[in-house]
Amino acid sequence: MLVLSRRVGESVVIGAGTPDAVTVTVLEVRGDVVRVGIDAPRSVAVHRAELLAELADANADAASPSENTVASLSQALRERR
Amino acid sequence: MIAAMDIPAAGLVSSDVDSADVEVPVIVLVHPMPGFPDDARFALVRLDDDGLLHGLRSLDSEGLQFIVVPPGAFYPDYAPEIDDDTVADLGIERAEDVVVLAVVRAGATLAETTINLRAPLVLNTTTLRATQVILDDVDLPISAPLVA
Repeated sequence: MLVLSRRVGESVVIGAGTPDAVTVTVLEVRGDVVRVGIDAPRSVAVHRAELLAELADANADAASPSENTVASLSQALRERR
Repeated sequence: MIAAMDIPAAGLVSSDVDSADVEVPVIVLVHPMPGFPDDARFALVRLDDDGLLHGLRSLDSEGLQFIVVPPGAFYPDYAPEIDDDTVADLGIERAEDVVVLAVVRAGATLAETTINLRAPLVLNTTTLRATQVILDDVDLPISAPLVA
């Protein structure tokens, strides 16, 4: 892992010279919170790592229920109407 | 920014994708769903007679399917705002082309079944491009009860 020290207002560029270059700028440091600004092209999705991990888990939990599960869900929803 | 309706469009939903001679509209995810980086092509299959439960079935991985529902049927006030990047990514030109679907995790009982309101699937029915949008609203749960 590359480790860099940066001051407020300074940036790093990832993928410089490519169409996918991303610029990360340190905006503010307050206590243990660092605010960063991320300038990325639209094709590059930027998300908080923990939210992505949570979503990946949620998607994995939801994926490929058994036919029986789908049938009982369908039945339960019908009975509710 | 646009508001979206949430009723799957006719002609988009297939009743059977396993039959070889039926042409199925192929939905392409412009970004993969978190956790499923290799699955880009999906078909939407009806799973019940009420038009609530649909299967979002991967055409890239055998057996991979997500249950999706129109979220408005369960959360009538749910109206996610779709950001401009998503509008551009999906080539959205008219609000009426947009369908929002939410991923359901089927539990052992209806009470244990949850719906993901934080990351709905947004689909452009004209371009057949879709993506699982991660909404900024931290109050929207990833696992809300499907029925309260």
